[in-house]
Amino acid sequence: MLIVDQLKRRDPHLQLISLGVLAGMFTLIAGLWYHQVIAASGYRADLEDQTLRSVRVRAIRGKILDRNGNPLADNRPSYNLNVYLEDLRRNFRYEYTNSVRKEFYRENPGKRLTRSAADLLQREARYRVVSNILYQVSSRIDQPRILMEEDFHRRYLNERTLPLLLLKDLPFPQVARYLETCSTLPSVALDVEPTRYYPYGSAAAHLLGYVRLDKASTEDETFAFTYPLVDFKGVKGLELALDEQLRGRPGMKMVLVNHLAYRQSEEVWQTPEPGTNVVLTIDIEIQRATERALATVRPDVRGAAVVMDCNNGDILAIASAPTYDPNTFVDGLTPEEWKSLNDEELRPLFNRAVYGAYPPGSTFKIVSGLAALEAGVLNPNQIYRSKGFFQIGSRGRHWKDTAGAGDFDFRTAFAFSSNPYFQEYGLLAGPQKVVELAKRFGLGEPTGLVTRQEASGYLPDHTRLRKRDGNRWMDGDTANLCIGQGEITVTPLQMAVLTSAVANNGKVLIPRLIKELHPLDAPDAAHALPAGQVRKEVNSRPDHLALIRRAMLDDVEYRDRSGRRASGHLAAVKGMQVCGKTGTAQIRSGGKDYVTWFVSFAPYSNPKYAVVVVVEEGASGGGTCAPVARQIYEALQKRDNAPKRNPQEASINSTPESLSRPADLHRLRAIESANISHLLLHRHANLVGVSHGRDTARPYLDVEFRIFDVSSSDVHAWDREHRLQSVSFTAFIRQPFQIT
Amino acid sequence: MFEPTLNHREPRLDWPMWLAIFALMVIGTAFIYSTTSVYDTVGIWRRFREYSWSGFFGWLAKQFYFKQVFAYGLGLVMAVVFCLFDYHKLARWSLVIYWGSILLLVAVLIEGIGTTAGTGARRWIDLGFFNMQPSEFAKLSLVIALAHFLSRPVEELRLPGVFFKAIGMTLLPFLLILKEPDLGSALVLIPIGLMMMYVAEVPKRYLKRLVGYGAVFIGLLLVNVLFAPAEWQPLEQYQRERLLVYFGRDFASQYDTPVERQRAQARQRDKTYNVDQALISVGSGGLTGKGWRQGTQNALGFLPSTVAHNDFIFSVIAEEKGFLGSVLLIALYTVIMFTGIKIASQARDRLGRLLAIGVVVIFFSHVFVNIGMNIRIMPVTGIPLPLISYGGTSVLCTLIAAGILQNIYIYRRFY
Repeated sequence: MLIVDQLKRRDPHLQLISLGVLAGMFTLIAGLWYHQVIAASGYRADLEDQTLRSVRVRAIRGKILDRNGNPLADNRPSYNLNVYLEDLRRNFRYEYTNSVRKEFYRENPGKRLTRSAADLLQREARYRVVSNILYQVSSRIDQPRILMEEDFHRRYLNERTLPLLLLKDLPFPQVARYLETCSTLPSVALDVEPTRYYPYGSAAAHLLGYVRLDKASTEDETFAFTYPLVDFKGVKGLELALDEQLRGRPGMKMVLVNHLAYRQSEEVWQTPEPGTNVVLTIDIEIQRATERALATVRPDVRGAAVVMDCNNGDILAIASAPTYDPNTFVDGLTPEEWKSLNDEELRPLFNRAVYGAYPPGSTFKIVSGLAALEAGVLNPNQIYRSKGFFQIGSRGRHWKDTAGAGDFDFRTAFAFSSNPYFQEYGLLAGPQKVVELAKRFGLGEPTGLVTRQEASGYLPDHTRLRKRDGNRWMDGDTANLCIGQGEITVTPLQMAVLTSAVANNGKVLIPRLIKELHPLDAPDAAHALPAGQVRKEVNSRPDHLALIRRAMLDDVEYRDRSGRRASGHLAAVKGMQVCGKTGTAQIRSGGKDYVTWFVSFAPYSNPKYAVVVVVEEGASGGGTCAPVARQIYEALQKRDNAPKRNPQEASINSTPESLSRPADLHRLRAIESANISHLLLHRHANLVGVSHGRDTARPYLDVEFRIFDVSSSDVHAWDREHRLQSVSFTAFIRQPFQIT
Repeated sequence: MFEPTLNHREPRLDWPMWLAIFALMVIGTAFIYSTTSVYDTVGIWRRFREYSWSGFFGWLAKQFYFKQVFAYGLGLVMAVVFCLFDYHKLARWSLVIYWGSILLLVAVLIEGIGTTAGTGARRWIDLGFFNMQPSEFAKLSLVIALAHFLSRPVEELRLPGVFFKAIGMTLLPFLLILKEPDLGSALVLIPIGLMMMYVAEVPKRYLKRLVGYGAVFIGLLLVNVLFAPAEWQPLEQYQRERLLVYFGRDFASQYDTPVERQRAQARQRDKTYNVDQALISVGSGGLTGKGWRQGTQNALGFLPSTVAHNDFIFSVIAEEKGFLGSVLLIALYTVIMFTGIKIASQARDRLGRLLAIGVVVIFFSHVFVNIGMNIRIMPVTGIPLPLISYGGTSVLCTLIAAGILQNIYIYRRFY
């Protein structure tokens, strides 16, 4: 052995040197062992800290569709123009050495450039390069823009790793112009990002709610992102209630950066999982008809309408007026928009159909009449002589009556909405009975809407009757209650449930909004939510309910011998046998603030639909709300008579998840046949295919550029004058690819 | 049985050492390629096929690894040349060699001859095709001169005059190199001088006293550097700061104004940056490393490209080949050093013994300081890793030193 040889030779000098060399080498090995084996994980973490940046990749938000598959909340591609800073490093350097620094020396001859001054000049050079690019691009697409200097420096400092957004959400003509004029520009790319879109604008806006771009991570996300980036977050309505399902799961991208924090390469660590598609029970045609009908009252009408299938509880339409356009929230509101949305009087963001708790007025006579019938104090055929007002005792409270004086039996009292009649019999039945029945109809408690966004209204406790302010319950309160005033408020949705219960012989249904959930990763695993769930039974005698239904039919169709028509006659639709009850309630006693009602179902013989209309400050239930209901019934009638559509026809799952499927040959061939001279695909552009060339099949069509907007499965094309041409063409779908 | 027979042929070449040297040259080429050709996507082979001959060689001549291979070739030729004659002949020229190197060290200080090569220190002489570093030659020439000087009879070494002369011979190049400034290279001369005097059997009491005084001096210097205010410093500012980094102390002193303090902190970040990044490279390599050319520290520029292929090349090797690769590298150096010690013990006379020990000490101090600074047990200095770091002079001197070892081995005692 080499070492032993030395030590054997009795050469103390060399022995000492050998030992010294050995000790030195062992010191090194020990040090290396410590750093490379014992402490290695710490250094690896340091390495990752300085080289890897995690970026949240937005998942495609699930769509909200109506019962026929029409998208109510959809995603559309938003074309953003980004500049990739890491590609510009050479330009930055060139600009600095050949322009900015030279200028400095020219202006300050003989001066030495300090380090900090050089940093400032480099900053200036970077700004010049990027602002020049933006100017070039934006002027070529006829939208000249100037790069905000401070904003640029801030973004360069903080988000150098990410592409720098120059122009957001370019409209199609500008996209075409960009591709025509700027596609050779270096380091600039057109990137596509899904953005929220509500095709029907303000239709069902209160139900759908709206989204906001939000940076905050949600609790269920497993990563802390260096760059969370903004994602859509439901703020109101279904977008909020179903946010978790709609949102999907964001993906994560790891960007490898160099020591200057420029992007070197990136790798998708987790692909985003698109959100679940939600199919509602809403029928968009009925919804729009309902909103149109409400708008006919007056331009800035405040009110609500609910259309419900009275046999299974499906909500076909739920409208609140005034409404708003949820599209305006997607990119953020201007202060004026926000101000108008928060108007004190109109309160457009307030969903009156579920949150509006109003006194039911005469529509409550359905309950008070039924209570008197059940209590056995009311003989429907017995004539009651009304004095045209009602008074308790000789000097008690006094109620006026629009029905006037006269003789009423149950049918006529109901049809002309005689207050004294129902007050008399209600007092006989007793307030406990009335309140208890109202409770059986589900008033005073939530209807069980899946969004849980609803008010419960107000109903006193029938076991210990007290007024809201804690005062003792008086007969006057009972008389008030019987005509739907005072100690009671209900929401339009609750009234729809109540009317349905009357129509379907006593089943208080849970209103259903969501028909199915379609998880995109497993389209076959569509999850249907049960229909026709009964919350409770009213347990009234069928003949009593039949009597009420008959009376409600009279409320629309009855005409007495003098030719006077019942209060709801304006709701009548031929062939529909609408049954209803009008109501007008004072919000404050003695005030002028009226809320007018019309609750109804149809047809009489075989009830299918319940329609409830409320209008604040209407003239009267019959005059204001009944015509609205008529228009809704007309739309429903049209729907019934229309040829039955296959409910799934509009292929709920056609997009957007198919975007991520590889392009199939057939589709590619369709493109080839169009003699496309080249196919440009931009970074991240998994949603857009761009072709340049002339369509051989249609030589007469001077189409130069074509953009395949795959999110809507059709092709938009422009001719040289940027006139939009619609070309029937198979959409080209490109598999998402990564930068390597 | 240990009696040599007449027809017994003793080996002329010391194979283990040369194998280790070849292995180190291969490693050096591979890792200079790895550090300097990170973004070369075209590749040598394609260039060879597609370029013209002149174009290809023009391109190749600019590549660091090719220059290094060229230096290896030149160094091997020099090593052969240094084996052609008896090392005693070399010793006769020792004064010429010594004063020649002193002349170079003086020349390098003169502006116009010496070049800074873009750094803060004037250490190189521009010869057109490459920059020569005279301090590298100075180490070797000191070994030759001291070996010649100290190989006189032991009795003479007891004279204080001889002892002081030996010290003077060491201090002259030391001071000149310090003037460049290149503290690291200068300090390497101290162990060379000390060890050679020790092996030459200079009386122990002289050495003890020398080491004692030296220790006191260095101790005082360190205390001064670490605790005295900046204006009292004998060292260059950057040298002082390197020592502060090494001892983990703040640059800013308590007397500084906030602005100065801030500047000192920024400077400290800059100064510790290389060491920190080298340590991350070494540590993240782990046991087996990330694989050749797979390291990210150099590729992403965290390890500055100006040092990755020379002073800090070890951190790249440690990152890409891990602990095992690092140990292999140290083992190869150990083989060379122990071969040197063995040759010293077999040397025909004291001259050969002293020469061999001098060469071993050069190797040891370079390897220890360079690897040590990568793992923070040594302060950062510009000392190359022999045969691996990019640098023609270093490669040349190392191979000449190996040639001298081989020379001593050829003329060894065969008993």
